[in-house]
Amino acid sequence: MSAEQKIRSYILENYLFTDDESALGSDDSFLEKGIIDSTGILEVIHFLEDEFKVRVEDDEMVPENLDSVNNIVQFVAKKQAI
Amino acid sequence: MANSLVELLLNSVEKYPEKEVVAHKDRRVSYSRLWEDACRVAGYLRDQNINREDRVGILIENSPEYIAMYYGVLIAGGAAVGLNSGAKARDLVNWLRHSGAKWLFAQGSHPELAEVIKALGKEITVVCVGAPDAQLDASTYVKWEDSIGRTEPSNSIGNITNSNQVAAIIYTSGTTGKPKGVTLSHRNLVANTLSIISYLELQETDRILNVLPFHYSYGNSVLHTHLAVGGSLVLENSLMYPQKILQKMQSEKVTGFSGVPSTYALLLSRTNLKEYDLSSIRYMTQAGGPMAPASVERFTRELPHVRFFVMYGQTEATARLTWLPPEKLVEKLGSIGIPIPGVKIRICDEHDRPVESGVTGEIQVQGGNVMLGYWRDEETTRTVLKDNWLHTGDLAHQDDDGYIYIDGRSSDMIKTGANRVSPKEIEEVILELEGMEEVAAVGIPDEILGQVIKVVVVLSPGVDLSKRAIQAHCHKNLASYKIPKFIEFVSQLPKTSSGKVQRFLLQTESLKN
Repeated sequence: MSAEQKIRSYILENYLFTDDESALGSDDSFLEKGIIDSTGILEVIHFLEDEFKVRVEDDEMVPENLDSVNNIVQFVAKKQAI
Repeated sequence: MANSLVELLLNSVEKYPEKEVVAHKDRRVSYSRLWEDACRVAGYLRDQNINREDRVGILIENSPEYIAMYYGVLIAGGAAVGLNSGAKARDLVNWLRHSGAKWLFAQGSHPELAEVIKALGKEITVVCVGAPDAQLDASTYVKWEDSIGRTEPSNSIGNITNSNQVAAIIYTSGTTGKPKGVTLSHRNLVANTLSIISYLELQETDRILNVLPFHYSYGNSVLHTHLAVGGSLVLENSLMYPQKILQKMQSEKVTGFSGVPSTYALLLSRTNLKEYDLSSIRYMTQAGGPMAPASVERFTRELPHVRFFVMYGQTEATARLTWLPPEKLVEKLGSIGIPIPGVKIRICDEHDRPVESGVTGEIQVQGGNVMLGYWRDEETTRTVLKDNWLHTGDLAHQDDDGYIYIDGRSSDMIKTGANRVSPKEIEEVILELEGMEEVAAVGIPDEILGQVIKVVVVLSPGVDLSKRAIQAHCHKNLASYKIPKFIEFVSQLPKTSSGKVQRFLLQTESLKN
């Protein structure tokens, strides 16, 4: 399973409670669409740290890195490349 | 004393017409502009023949429009019903029907609006703010710019005939048959606003960064108090990215911040406060449930120049009931403090007799801020307003100096984040699923939110239902903070000999699956 599929499945399963892929666009903003709240984003960070063995620093907790499936995919790829 | 919040706002408008009152995204609105918009809303409602105390629903996220609509409704003599914008259609419909609202001012893009309009049909006139959702049938609503935007402002407050008139209804629970609508008078709102201003020592130089929803009593009080002193509000509608909040505090040079325990837990766990210049901040307030004393201590250690106010209250008392003076924070750590000006508090046993200091009893209160009652529900009102005292259901004791310490709640309500959730609401929604025999919802401890929701489920024999199916049903029908985090399947619920579910056992024997 690709990183994008893993991230998408995690969000679908834990915040939208569905496996319907069409329920979540790759660029859908979690904040604007009310998909995840402030505690949900902490769970997403734990998931990323566990699954992809990356450490999300406090100052990396910004929408540019975390606010959509695509943003997360790019962020994780960048972190893993370091 | 002023008779209504309108008078307090007008006073600020006259004193500081060109001063910025609210900043939201890239918009900055002055007092005179806010007043003009509020008067347009009032003019629109007058043209529509609003009567005094007619209810108007407001389903908009925190924004200058929300404030103009709320005050516009008050100016016209109506009652503002601020609705939780995170709620699902069934709650919204239930609240709007129960309140008997004739108008709904809504965010055009609200994902539940199409369903709300479908359910209510001609029962209600809908005015949309912002671009409407593509699913909305254009014949079922009017746009703000085509209605309110074209109305002549009306600043007559002739419809506010006395201060005991209904000014607002705040719904604290919903899904089950009888929603609880806390009904507040103009007098209630004014009394609590002036009292909070006095102990926080708010003034026109104060500028708060507000993350609390205005439909919620705490957020509502932050709004009114800052408008009444001629202060200003910087609105941020999400805490998802705490760094952004701190950056905003720094760049906007705010003087104040209000949060619930989870707000502060988040800031402490995911930011480094010392990296930001927060020297402009004069005060911070905390309410909405108990905050761990260790977190309070850490916060004040990291920001020693900030006056940190621990407070306690209830929607039934408009918002605020007690405050802990910051200079007593260390000495009385863990206390919710003393009554705010104008409020009387007593701690009583089960026969409503005051108890001695050190003894736990129920907090009962009196004051100009105590609600008129629950909207259209005299029976429930009678259970909490007895002999001129509001029975809060909160258990506490006082020390010898009169400082109050919360010991628990006498009800089964779950407190997650700052939201009070009735277990019954969740249970009734889950019981709608086929094959569900019994269900019980409880709150279990959580580091950030205080409590999260766990449900314990008994399925009918031979039924196979997944955790996800239950959560998906809740997601469709309940606001996101009411969706159970943990679900446990058992063969039977623990009960007393009289058949009552022993909820405390479900809490303590948590499996946290």
